[in-house]
Amino acid sequence: MAAFRRIANLFRRSQMDREIAEELQAHIDLATEANMRQGLPHAVARRDAYLRFGNPASTRERVAAADAHLGLDVVYRDIRYALRQLLKNPGFTITAVLTLALGIGINTAIFSSMDAVVLRPLAVPALNRVVTVAEQRGSLYFAVTLANYEDWLRQSHSFEELAVHKSADMNLTGAGDAAQVTAALTSASFFSVLRVQPIVGRLFTQQECHPGSDGVALLNYGFWRRHFDGDTHVVGRKVQLDQREYTIIGVLPRSVQYPSQADVFIPLAPTPDQISNRFARGYLVLGRLRDGVTVKQAQAEMATIAARLDAAYPATNGGWTVHVEPLLANINGDLTPLYYNLVMAATLFVLLVVCANVANLQFARGIKRRPEIAMRTALGAGKWRIVRQLLTENILLAIAGAAGGLVIGALYLHLTLISMPERVARFMAGWSNISLNGRAFAFSFGLAVLAGVVSGFAPALDALRVNLVDQLKAGSRSTTGAGRSRRLRNVFAVAQVAMAVALVIGAALMSKGMWSMLHLADVYQPNRVLTFDVSLPAARYNTPRRRAEWYAASLDKLRALPGVVQADVTSALPYHDIAWLQDCAIENRPTVPGKMQNALRLPVSEGYFNAFHIRIVAGRGFTGNDTLDAAPVAVVSQRFVAQYFPGENPLGHRVRLGGKDSRDPWLTIVGVAAEANYSLWDQTPNAAVYMDAAQMPPEGMEYAIVARGDPMALVPTARHVLAGLDSNLPINNVETYAQLLHEDLIGLIQVAVMLGIDAAIALLLAAIGLFGVMANLVGEQTREIGVRLAMGARREDVLRMILRRASWLTGIGLVAGLLLAAGLSHVAANLLLGVRSNDPVVFSTVAMFIAAISLGASWIPARRAARVDPIDALRSE
Amino acid sequence: MAKNDLQGTLDLLVLKTLAQNGALHGYGIVLHIQSASGELLRVEEGSLYPALHRMEQTGWIASEWALTETNRRAKYYRLTPQGRRQLDIAQESFDQLVKGVRAVLRYA
Repeated sequence: MAAFRRIANLFRRSQMDREIAEELQAHIDLATEANMRQGLPHAVARRDAYLRFGNPASTRERVAAADAHLGLDVVYRDIRYALRQLLKNPGFTITAVLTLALGIGINTAIFSSMDAVVLRPLAVPALNRVVTVAEQRGSLYFAVTLANYEDWLRQSHSFEELAVHKSADMNLTGAGDAAQVTAALTSASFFSVLRVQPIVGRLFTQQECHPGSDGVALLNYGFWRRHFDGDTHVVGRKVQLDQREYTIIGVLPRSVQYPSQADVFIPLAPTPDQISNRFARGYLVLGRLRDGVTVKQAQAEMATIAARLDAAYPATNGGWTVHVEPLLANINGDLTPLYYNLVMAATLFVLLVVCANVANLQFARGIKRRPEIAMRTALGAGKWRIVRQLLTENILLAIAGAAGGLVIGALYLHLTLISMPERVARFMAGWSNISLNGRAFAFSFGLAVLAGVVSGFAPALDALRVNLVDQLKAGSRSTTGAGRSRRLRNVFAVAQVAMAVALVIGAALMSKGMWSMLHLADVYQPNRVLTFDVSLPAARYNTPRRRAEWYAASLDKLRALPGVVQADVTSALPYHDIAWLQDCAIENRPTVPGKMQNALRLPVSEGYFNAFHIRIVAGRGFTGNDTLDAAPVAVVSQRFVAQYFPGENPLGHRVRLGGKDSRDPWLTIVGVAAEANYSLWDQTPNAAVYMDAAQMPPEGMEYAIVARGDPMALVPTARHVLAGLDSNLPINNVETYAQLLHEDLIGLIQVAVMLGIDAAIALLLAAIGLFGVMANLVGEQTREIGVRLAMGARREDVLRMILRRASWLTGIGLVAGLLLAAGLSHVAANLLLGVRSNDPVVFSTVAMFIAAISLGASWIPARRAARVDPIDALRSE
Repeated sequence: MAKNDLQGTLDLLVLKTLAQNGALHGYGIVLHIQSASGELLRVEEGSLYPALHRMEQTGWIASEWALTETNRRAKYYRLTPQGRRQLDIAQESFDQLVKGVRAVLRYA
C-alpha cells in the first residue's frame, strides 16, 4: 500500500511540489509571527525565521524525495545487501542454490507432467462441464444403445449438447505402409461438445453423418505427425479404411487428443436399424452441461428419464439406469492419478528435506553472523527489519534455485518423455502436452518463495535471539548462545533422517514389488521371444477357413526361417492382461443363478503349449488332426478342473463359451493343461479354456516366435515372408515379449524410478545434513575436547563421545522414519497392487543401510575431533 | 522500523510529541521538542520535514490542512494506530541502543 502511494506520488509531482512549498512557507510564516509577538519588526522577524529554517530549496527537494522513493528504496537495499552477503560466502551460496535447484527442479518436473496428464489432459474450454453419460446396471457401467441415446437427446434438458462415438480397429491403405489404425466414429456434435477446432481443414457437417455421405476423415494430431509427417497438404487426399475410400478433410489439434488412442475420426453414420436398436450397447456418450447445471442435477434428470424408458421398454431397459460423471474422472481412471499423487507427495517430501538442509546451513551461518546482527541491532535496526533482511536472502537463494530447478526440471521431463513407450503414451490423453509451461513456472516460483520462507524462518528468528550485551562484550568470538540453535539444528537433522528413511523404504517396497512383477514371466524366457500382432481384415478374411489358412501358412513360413526355434499364435500371451473372460456353459449342467461361471477364451496354435512350457497333465494337447472338419476340441486349465469338475474327470465333457446367446460350437474337453496366468495383477489365475486356432480361428492373434539368438534380428525376414503372403496386412507392435511386459508395467516402473530418485536425493541430503551438524558440533566444542584431552581423556573416548551423539540423532531419526514408513507403506500397499507393506527384510535392510550411512557421515567430524591437539585447542581461545 | 542513526531518534521524538499533543503542525513540533527537552534539543527543519513526509508515507502519521489560531493555513499531523505501535517499538529499540552504546563505552 505504502509502495503504491509512493508510486502514485511520482505521477502527481507538480501538485505535490506546490503543497510542500506551501507547507514550508507556512512554517516560516508561523515563525515570523512568533518573532513579531516578541516585539521584533516584521523584516527582522522574517529574516530570523529564514535563517533558522536553512535552505528552503534543498529542504523542499529532500521532502519530495521522501515522498517518492523511500519504500522501494528499502526493498532494493535489502536485495543489494543480501546479494553482497551471498557473494561473500560462495561456498554456502552454491551449496544452497544447488540443493534448492534439485528440490525445486524435480518438483517442477513432476508437477508439469501431472498437470498435463491428470489435471488438464485436454485443452477443452470449461472441461469441468463436459461429462460422460453411461448406462448403469447394478454397480457396473456400460456403453449405450443408440435408441437410448436418441431418447436422451429428445428428453433431457441438462445438456447444451450431447455427442456419441465409438472406436473401431481398421486397416488403412493408400497412404504409405498398410497400417492398423484405431478409428473413432463420432457424431458431428462430438467436436462442438469438446469445443475443438481443426488446425488444418474443417470438421464433419451434420449431413456427413448419414450413411452414404460419410466418406470423410479427420486425423488425430499424433497420427498426422507419425504417418503423414505433419504435411499440411494432406487435406483432400484419399485413403482407404477397410477398403472403403475416405477423403481427409482436416487435422485435429495436439492439445485435444480424445479419445487418446484414436488415429482417425470418421463420421458415425448409423442406419435407421441401428438407431432404433435397444440391444447393442456399444456407444459412448459425451455431453456438455448447460450453464449452472451441476453433474448431480444432470444425474438426477437422467435417472428419471431412465426410469421412464424402463417402464416403456421393460424387455430392453428393465433394471437399467444412467450414470453421469465428469469426463476428467473418466479419462484419468483410478491408477494414473493415484501414481501421480504418490510421486508428487514423495517429491514434496524431498523439498522438505531440501528446506531442512538449507535451514541447517543457515543456522551454521547464523552463528558466525551473530556479531554482525548484534551490531546492527545496537545501531537501531528493528527485529522485523532483520528478519526481513534474512528472509530476503533466503528468497533470493530460492529464486536462484528455482532458475536452476527449471533446467533440472526440463532435463528430468525430457528423460521421462523419452522413456515412455509410444504404445503406452497413446492411451494417455495429455501425455503429448507435457512441457514446462507458464503454470510450471508459476509453480516453481511459488515453491521457491515458500522454500525460502520455510528454510529461512527458523534461522532468522534464531538469529534474533542474540543477547546484545553479551555478544558485544564477547567481541568477535562467536561462541555465545549456541545451545538453542544447536538443539534446533539437531531437530532438523533428525527430521531429515526420518524423512529419508521413509522415502527410501517407500521406494524400496515399490521397486521390490515392481521387480517381482517384471520377472513373473521369466519362466517363459521372454528375452528370446519375438511378438507382434496381426489382425485380419474382416472383408477379405470373412470365413473361418480363410483365417485358418492364413494362420497355417504364415506359421509354416515363419517356422522355416533360420534362427526360429518355434512359431505359434495365441490370442493372449501370459501376463499380458488382454485375455477375454467369457461366460462358460457346461453341457448337461444347469447354471446356478447368482453363481458366476466363466473362463478365459484362449485360441492357440498347436505348438503353443510346447513353446511356453505349459505341460499337458491329462489327456492330450492339440494335434494336426484338429482341423475345421473335425469335431472341435478344448484343453482346459487345472484351475478350470478344480473350479468346475472337482474330483471328476473332465475329459469327454463338453463346454461352450459366450453365454446364452453364444454361436460357438460345443467343445469336447480332450486335455488338461498346467496353470498359466494371463494377468499381471491377479495373483490367482482365472479358469482357462484353450481352443485350437485351426478349428476356431479368430480375426486377430498375437504371434510368439521363439528365437535361437536375438529375436529382433528375425524382424526383417519375418516381415518379408508375411508380406509375401499378403502385402496389405499390417503387422503391429513388433517387439520382444520382455519389452511387451516392460511396457505393460511402465506406470509402476516409472513410479518406482521416480521414488528411487526422490529417495536417493533425500538420503544424500540427510547424510550431508548430519555431517554438517556433527562438523559444527566438533568445531564449537574444540576447546572442550582440548580440555578433556588435556585432562587425560583418550582419543577413543573423544571419538566415542562424538559418535554417541551422532548415534542418538540417527537413532531417533530412524525410529521416527520407520514409524512414518510403516504408516505410509500401509496406505500405499492398500492402494497399489504388487506392494507389500509388512516386509521386514526391506525395513531392516534399509534401517541398517541408513544407519551405516549416517555413522559414515559422522565419522569424518568425529575423527577430526579425536585428532584435536589439546595445546592448539586451548591456545586458540 | 528504527533507523540506525539519529534519524531513528528523530522519528521517536516526533512520534512521542504527536502522542502527547494530538494534532500539530511542523512548527508546533519544533517548539514542543525544544521546550519539552528543556531547550537541549533543537530539531532542524531540514531534517524534520523529510522525516514527517517519510513517516506519513510509511503510514505512521496522517496529515490534513487546517487553520491555525491566527487563521493561517497549515498542515497538521497526527498519529495513526500503526504509528502508536511504532512508537512502542522505537522506544524499545532506543533503550537497546542506549544499553549497547553504554556497554561499548564501558568495555572498549
